[in-house]
Amino acid sequence: MQLRYDEDFIEAAVFLCASGRRKGVPSLQIARFHREREKLYGILDPDERNTAFFKLHLDWFREWGLELPLTDVLKEFPLVREQLGALAVRKTTGKNDEGAELYVNETGQRTGLLALRLERLTHDAALRDYLRHEFTHLHDMLNPAFGYSPVLDLPGLNAAQKRLARERYRLLWDITIDGRLAAAGHTPMQAREQHAAAVARGYSFWPEQRQTETFSTLWQTKAPQHAEFLALIADPRGLRDAHRPAPGASCPLCDFPTFHWADASVLPSGMVSRITAEFPAWSPAHGICNRCAESYEALTATVGSPVALH
Amino acid sequence: MSNVLNWQLGREMEYPYEAAYPDQQFAFVFNTNRCIGCQTCTMACKSTWTFSKGQEYMWWNNVETKPYGGYPHHWDVKTLDLLEQANPGGQNWGGKPEDVKAPYGKFNGKTIFEATKTFIGPEGANRALGYLPTDEEWSAPNRYEDHPVGNEKGVKGQYFKGGELLPEHKTWFFYLARICNHCSYPACLAACPRNAIYKRPEDGIVLIDQERCRGYRKCMEACPYKKTYYRGTTRTSEKCIGCYPRVEGKDQAGGGLPMITRCMSSCIGHIRLQGLIEMNKDGTWKEARNNPLYYLIHVAKVALPLYPQFGTEPNGYYIPPRWVSRPYLRQMFGPGVDDAIEKYSAPDRELLAVLQLFGKDQRICHRYEIKEGPQVFETEVRGKKFAMYNDTIIGYAKDGTKIIETTVEEPLHLRDSKHANSI
Repeated sequence: MQLRYDEDFIEAAVFLCASGRRKGVPSLQIARFHREREKLYGILDPDERNTAFFKLHLDWFREWGLELPLTDVLKEFPLVREQLGALAVRKTTGKNDEGAELYVNETGQRTGLLALRLERLTHDAALRDYLRHEFTHLHDMLNPAFGYSPVLDLPGLNAAQKRLARERYRLLWDITIDGRLAAAGHTPMQAREQHAAAVARGYSFWPEQRQTETFSTLWQTKAPQHAEFLALIADPRGLRDAHRPAPGASCPLCDFPTFHWADASVLPSGMVSRITAEFPAWSPAHGICNRCAESYEALTATVGSPVALH
Repeated sequence: MSNVLNWQLGREMEYPYEAAYPDQQFAFVFNTNRCIGCQTCTMACKSTWTFSKGQEYMWWNNVETKPYGGYPHHWDVKTLDLLEQANPGGQNWGGKPEDVKAPYGKFNGKTIFEATKTFIGPEGANRALGYLPTDEEWSAPNRYEDHPVGNEKGVKGQYFKGGELLPEHKTWFFYLARICNHCSYPACLAACPRNAIYKRPEDGIVLIDQERCRGYRKCMEACPYKKTYYRGTTRTSEKCIGCYPRVEGKDQAGGGLPMITRCMSSCIGHIRLQGLIEMNKDGTWKEARNNPLYYLIHVAKVALPLYPQFGTEPNGYYIPPRWVSRPYLRQMFGPGVDDAIEKYSAPDRELLAVLQLFGKDQRICHRYEIKEGPQVFETEVRGKKFAMYNDTIIGYAKDGTKIIETTVEEPLHLRDSKHANSI
């Protein structure tokens, strides 16, 4: 596996050392770095100049031990090293943009991308913990037993529900990663208690016992699977199989979650026909939200002979 | 270190170089009471100077919402905090306002140059106390736009009773437009290990020599206003150049006369007035009673320097916002705030006339004269009599060319009836 660095990342990283923000860099070395760097401004050809700067910055990146955490931690992930053609490291500005991603091109070549905030480089131990966490993400994505798919197969969910499902997926995956890291004697990104509290928040509609059991299973699992996560995120409240419309479930017609259901047992037959013409799989037993009922009431011109739907 | 006179602090202070003053100093006054945060100035600057590759995060001119906003994030709070760490409890003012050498009294605390003697900042020992902002802090130039702050905790669903009344609104924010202050004692210049930064002797504009700069970023670290920027594509630092070709009179639109910068001339709120100030050998301003900037800063004293306690003697001055919490303003503009607001709230005849010069012409006004007109309005402002006279103010360029003639009362233009209802 080839380790590639973004030019900006390397330059910013060595400047972190040169500006004293990463401790332990001898001042004589900083002076030498600046002397060597100054010389390169004399190269007139912009491409040649950029190449020379990159080489110099990379040399100092290695000299100042900035590459070591990456290469050391990578050694703990043989699957990542074997399966990836390259791992590219780039700089990012915000916390939300940080993390590891897997890219697969048309020929099936796999490339990992690791986005890091520069501040991560100021403390080696914390950086190593973070790298372990992110490389475990990559490991899972590359591990056939995990069964990763970049697309979450969640039929029947609307955009808002899918976003929520993705958040839950991230939460569950992070729990299994930190659980494995803790079991291996490493420092997890978040403590067990923090993860347990996150599950309690994300699955507040579950009884406490189920929250605890699910969390414990996830924290202790050694071989998590994508499919297991899907089962826990798609319909955690079991609303899809509800025999009657439940509060907060999605209306089968408009797909919006609702707490206001119409009484489908008293729908006029004309209205039912009108709905089934557009939604053949629908039956009054599936329920209908007040807003859809109002719309179809109007469409079937039953306004003149109102029925007590609500 | 040398001892130099910083008249904004009312005392001498230490600076890494000997004092050297330009013949004239680029200076400006921004009236924060008029700024609506439209960012026209920001875009005028961006589209003129920083639209190229590598300049994406460069905003030589920016307008931030105070108190929370700032570019880079929390630039002022961070530097104030470093100074407080260096001199706990000692960053205060004393003495009485005197002449042009101490118009705001005397600053007893430490400047960013003096603090380095006893305090090492996050980036180690330097010529000026500072810090290097992180990428994240440079990432969002208009963060916290329009976010207000409340002096007291509110009640949900209820407005403050009388919350909009002066002298201080109960919830407030204001827009602070910023460019490089082209300081008299620039921290960027002091910190540069390559002597790549210089102050032009003809107009005091601070520039970075692109041939000498080797991208150490010491200027970014030292400038307390964070107005120098690193450009990754050239690996050099860049900063506001004060639109110096215009100041030199090279823009054809000025007919050879010195012109104001792009950000100043594009300001739709007419909040900006730019000028060139003649300097004495000791660093004070030559008395020029009828120079609009001299008048606003040294006579009326309604325009105040931004964070004078930093010690760089910035040449950007602000008329403070009337509605904002006074302790906050005193921290930002020094002890002259209360008098400045008092004066601005019920301006006298001359001040009202001079305020009409803002944004009236693209050429730099060096001198004004006022022709008295009749009284047109009279009222009381918080117990103080205020009378408005329809005076005419005439502004002249340095060579005596008349460039502005305007009245206090805006003229009324009636469209000819033959055009009625036609657009």
